[in-house]
Amino acid sequence: MSPAWLLRRLLLMAYTLLVVSILVFAITQILPADAAVTMLGQDATPAALAALRAKLGLADPVWLQFWHWFSAVLRGDFGISMRTGLPVGPTMLTALSRSLLLAVCSLSLMLVIAIPLGVLAALRQGRALDLAVGLISYLGISLPEFVTATLVLVVLADRLQWLPATGYVPPSEHLLDGIRHLVAPVLTVSLVLIAHVSRMMRSETIDVLASDYVLAADLKGLAPPTVLLRHVMRNALLPVISVVALDVGYLLGGIIVVEEIFAIPGIGRALLVAIQNRDLPAIQAGALIMAATYAVVNLLADIAYAVLDPRLRYG
Amino acid sequence: MVEVTRRLLRTPQGALGAAVLAVVALVCLFGPLIAPYDPEQMDFLGRFAVPGAHHWLGADQLGRDEMSRLLYGARATVPPALLATLAGTLAGAIVGTLAAFAGGRWDEAIMRTIDAVMAIPGLLIALLVASTLGAGEGGALLAIAIAFAPGMARITRSVALAVRQEDYVAAAIARGETGLRIVFAEMLPNALAPVVVESTIRVAFAVMLMATLSFLGVGAQPPASEWGLMVSDGRGYLHDAPWLVIVPGLAIGITAIGFNLLGDGLRDALNPRGER
Amino acid sequence: MTTRRAILAGAAALGASLPLVRTRAATVMPVNGGTLRVSVDQAAGVLNPLLTRVNPEYLVSELLYSGLTRLRPDMTAEPDLAESWSADPDLTTWTFKLRSGLLFHDGSPCTSRDVEASFHTMLDPKTGSAARSNCGPIKDVIAADTTTVVFHLTGAYADLPVALAYTNAKIIPASIASGDMSVLARSANGTGPFKLVSFEPERQIVVERNPHYWDPSRPHVDRVEVLVYPDPTAEASALIAGDIDLIASVQPQQFGRLRTADGVTALRVPSGQFLNVNMACDAKPFDDMRVRQALALTVDRQAMVGFVAQGYGTPGNDTPLSPAYHFYRDLPLKGRNIPAARKLLAEAGYPNGIDLTLIASTDPGTRTQLAVAMREMAKEAGFRITVQTMPHATYLAQVWKKGNFYVGFYNMQATADAIFSLLYTSSAAWPETRWNNTKFDALIAKARVTTDEAQRKDLYGQAQMLMNQEVPSVIPVFFDLLAARRSYVEGYALHPRGAVFLLDQLWLGAKAPRRG
Repeated sequence: MSPAWLLRRLLLMAYTLLVVSILVFAITQILPADAAVTMLGQDATPAALAALRAKLGLADPVWLQFWHWFSAVLRGDFGISMRTGLPVGPTMLTALSRSLLLAVCSLSLMLVIAIPLGVLAALRQGRALDLAVGLISYLGISLPEFVTATLVLVVLADRLQWLPATGYVPPSEHLLDGIRHLVAPVLTVSLVLIAHVSRMMRSETIDVLASDYVLAADLKGLAPPTVLLRHVMRNALLPVISVVALDVGYLLGGIIVVEEIFAIPGIGRALLVAIQNRDLPAIQAGALIMAATYAVVNLLADIAYAVLDPRLRYG
Repeated sequence: MVEVTRRLLRTPQGALGAAVLAVVALVCLFGPLIAPYDPEQMDFLGRFAVPGAHHWLGADQLGRDEMSRLLYGARATVPPALLATLAGTLAGAIVGTLAAFAGGRWDEAIMRTIDAVMAIPGLLIALLVASTLGAGEGGALLAIAIAFAPGMARITRSVALAVRQEDYVAAAIARGETGLRIVFAEMLPNALAPVVVESTIRVAFAVMLMATLSFLGVGAQPPASEWGLMVSDGRGYLHDAPWLVIVPGLAIGITAIGFNLLGDGLRDALNPRGER
Repeated sequence: MTTRRAILAGAAALGASLPLVRTRAATVMPVNGGTLRVSVDQAAGVLNPLLTRVNPEYLVSELLYSGLTRLRPDMTAEPDLAESWSADPDLTTWTFKLRSGLLFHDGSPCTSRDVEASFHTMLDPKTGSAARSNCGPIKDVIAADTTTVVFHLTGAYADLPVALAYTNAKIIPASIASGDMSVLARSANGTGPFKLVSFEPERQIVVERNPHYWDPSRPHVDRVEVLVYPDPTAEASALIAGDIDLIASVQPQQFGRLRTADGVTALRVPSGQFLNVNMACDAKPFDDMRVRQALALTVDRQAMVGFVAQGYGTPGNDTPLSPAYHFYRDLPLKGRNIPAARKLLAEAGYPNGIDLTLIASTDPGTRTQLAVAMREMAKEAGFRITVQTMPHATYLAQVWKKGNFYVGFYNMQATADAIFSLLYTSSAAWPETRWNNTKFDALIAKARVTTDEAQRKDLYGQAQMLMNQEVPSVIPVFFDLLAARRSYVEGYALHPRGAVFLLDQLWLGAKAPRRG
């Protein structure tokens, strides 16, 4: 991993974001909605609509509209929400910070639980522990989030009254209350992740355990913990990193349901509201910011991949 | 193929998964024949009927028989999810394997484009595509396929890259075999096992993604008895009529578990290392 | 028989609930202080009071801004910024007298000039305010002296004081009204009982007591936190757990659970809020009245109240006036009559039935339920209906006011005139059915300028009979409005209008938790 390689990756990331910008802009162009109607609402007169269309430049050629939007984005200006009249950039970044908090908490909980669980299950293949882990992960992976979220809600908030049912309090404002409000959504989100990753970890570990070089290490007389650490973990972690990077995409986008149920004003919910309201600047900003976050995480995953598996060389 | 099936059924997961999915398949084929009621028939007095003699699995807010809706709903739920996954996997696997084989610039170009698409999270793509196409089962299906394809391509590529290092590909190249032959005869089958594992997980995901799209109003259209739609319809009545969530939720869960078990079984049966 | 009982029950509930609150308010002294936490089911995205569109936005706007009048729960006007008003005999010129010493939040005085400027902005089509078509036939508004405002109308209008209580008819500073309105997107400067502290449209909006408010006895609470809880199940759980004090609007599905919960008081009031099936009367096949009449005859209205409103409602009779309206006319409830419906459909040229696509927005979810129930009920008479749902924004852009066959949903309006001329007259603000019935228009126009109560009642009665007969839209069900509060929240009366909340009148009783 040379500096040149890193620089190349950064350039490629910029290219990725350019492609995403074009894609996102294209999608917002074909979404069935009329920007002027969205902004002025039910009581607009035809004359007012026509005036606004002219002001927004909706009659301009698409490439010119794209350029106006894109050059503003490069200056950090994502535009004004059609619904609220507030600048969408700062709104979306605030929302992102909350989603990231939720994502980081869920990922951490997942890593702490899923990796040991997967390895243990692989080592105890076919035994009671393996079956129990299997059952739990099957359940976690097979129930839709709104079912698990509802279960968490019914059990922890309604029955036991341990946690608040819904709502978000910034931990920076009120640490304890903020954490209390985060527990239920984090549990819901990490349940799916744990199920997904422990399965992957188990199957990869079994694979590596059966491979020639672990057998060779065994023959060389290396102690089992050393084998486990040096070979098994390292090789099994590779696909897991791939899956975790994928799951960040799930986390950023797919927690929409969780954010909706637990009323967390994260970027998923902000985007959902934007899509439902056809608030085009908000959709563009939200999708682009989300994509940028994802691209950064992906880059980190690729770096980790390269560090862990020197066999892979990038052309 | 016969060999694989035989070995698949010998693994406990494979046998169990196949059994579960056989039941699901039977329901898909014959469900409407054994359903006691018309799934759309409302019954005012039977609203929220508790599971019992008249309605084995209870009735919903419109008095529709939950059992009949479940049996009819299998067709609206399982085949589309399967189809969406298949389409997404196929597209992704082909692109991913080609990229890994081509290597160099082509690999870069393909993977950067895929990265770009993947940088937009799957559910968001599905939501945007479904919103653009208009609500409906077809739109949701296509949306899920599109959302799945890049991820599958990436996974296939990372597996294929590792496979590419293996001796038999080098051997094939040394034998002077053509590129396409190497891709289809050597790399694809060897890359298949992890892809199959991943895509069976994704069938379950697809069922849930369908449900989520229905939950968000861009999936199956009422009064369809699509299971995801049934869960989201029933959610509002959770405290009064929990079976409206539990019954279709369990149906989704069991189907998903079936696919997961089958995938694990297949994984063991297909493992090329086990062959050698 | 059933109708009658339901109506009597509704009237009794409405009549009984109001004096009850009044007596309580009279005997129990309000306590001042504390923080009220109220939840709403969707984001209050728009802060500009002239442009608000949904109930949570109205709730916030009402805390921060005042109008000249406001709407009592019995749908009459009470003085707000205006302390009194009078009209000339022909009802075309109205004079409103403002209170003296009114102040905006920033301490600057609020005078007739601000009222004049606010109304000019509201009535300007470029603003896009719903007030423009809902505040009566206003020609011009003129500030006569600092506390006197004169309204000149294009025609006689008896309901002006009530119409001026409209949700968007709020007073903003003249400098903003005639200058840059965009500052109102994130800040507020009104004359309402509370001042804005923070505004996060997707999470919470916080307001605190306005020391300059014209009535020193209100508001009772020091601070209100408006929380956005989009999931109804979780919202109900939060109230039961005591995290919040009041849910502004409860879904029928959650009501049973809230009614039995400890420490929670469930609130219910009959209303004129309704769902309907709109049919384009100017296009095939609905230009033939018999098709509309046939569809109306397929509906089991009593059952519809159960299916769609979980029993918390009243059956509708294809007119927008429910028993909660002053000028409601008790007509025999239409029954379900499939042979008659079949016959009408055959006469209209569809002896083998007819294929239709009924469009329903997903917001609120009851629209879809109505569409599905409608489909099943109409099936037997030969209507083969396909239900198509879509997100609300798509519906607004593509179907609303344009479609031929779709589900509508409306709040109760303050007056009969308001709902008729919003939806059904030829010059309706939202011409959804394009019924364009001149006889109906004449009845509404005449009632508008009539002051004699009995005569008005007769005119509106005829208008309702006409709608009941010609069915520009099928109106099968009216909803009761539902809400819930912690039992320690006192002085809160659920308002049947649906868009009015009057949170400045409530207070927190002795058992309320202390919140820092």
